[in-house]
Amino acid sequence: MIDFDQLDKLIHEKSRLAIMTLLATRDDWAFQDLKTELGLSDGNLITHLRTLVSAAYIKESFDDTGSRPRTTYRLTAAGRKAFKTHIDLLEAIVKAARPS
Amino acid sequence: MSQSQAALEQLRIIRSLMEKAHIYRAVSAPAALLGSVLSLAVSVWPVVHAAKTHGEAAFSNTTFLVLWHAILAACTLLNMSLLAREAKRRDQPLFSEGMKTALRAVSPPLIVGGVLAGGLVIWLHNLTLAAFIWVLCYGLALIAMSNFAPKSLVRLGWAFVIAGLVLFLAWAANDEVRNLRTDLGPASLVMALTFGLLHLVYAVAVFASTPKSKEVAA
Repeated sequence: MIDFDQLDKLIHEKSRLAIMTLLATRDDWAFQDLKTELGLSDGNLITHLRTLVSAAYIKESFDDTGSRPRTTYRLTAAGRKAFKTHIDLLEAIVKAARPS
Repeated sequence: MSQSQAALEQLRIIRSLMEKAHIYRAVSAPAALLGSVLSLAVSVWPVVHAAKTHGEAAFSNTTFLVLWHAILAACTLLNMSLLAREAKRRDQPLFSEGMKTALRAVSPPLIVGGVLAGGLVIWLHNLTLAAFIWVLCYGLALIAMSNFAPKSLVRLGWAFVIAGLVLFLAWAANDEVRNLRTDLGPASLVMALTFGLLHLVYAVAVFASTPKSKEVAA
């Protein structure tokens, strides 16, 4: 029986799931773009990002070559794998509940 | 809410966020640059010739139509080959969800523009109005991609619409230009200022803002 206990708690949290989803769509996301897209406060967003960086699911990069310094984030291989596993589990839960 | 409903809800949120966040650059910078160079090359002579001869046409309406369709074909071919290369790099099919969404968005204005302008050139012999229709419908097609296109492409769309409307008003208000013997000169000038110059600015802006390693993808 597949259930929510098997889901990765780090990703399962709503805001972190949204961050992982956005990072899965493009190579790099700037902090400001994530903030705009998700409508989170600076403090809230940075806390979730730090949690994901600590888990090595995402990588933080700092770019000061342009006119304005930018902090960007991208999924690591481990993060991409964890995200895919999470989606697979969600799909399995849905499939298991459907009558054959 | 049951576990399966909660899982389904999470999957819906993931899908909706992914669709919303996916960026698809349907017009690559090299294709825009090629379009710009060809547009300027094809437009300069008829404009200069019309200015020197008080509106004489440098070539026929059919040649005008064939030349611009040839430019369209060349740019489309280059654009498609670059999109195919980028899709291969990302390990995605050329006709990805992004491309299908883009095609659905741009088709209505491009079909309307193509049919109206074709009719204007072939049966009504009005090249300038045809040029305005092309410019405005192309601009509207780019704006139609605003939900998933990069901002630069949407800005290009607005630039086309604004330039098209301003040039139309300038042309409509100027009896001398409207009453020239032929309208190949004004039509070519409209095409040069929009498809030539605006694409040039777009290509330069994209190249300037793209890191070296990603220029192919731009």
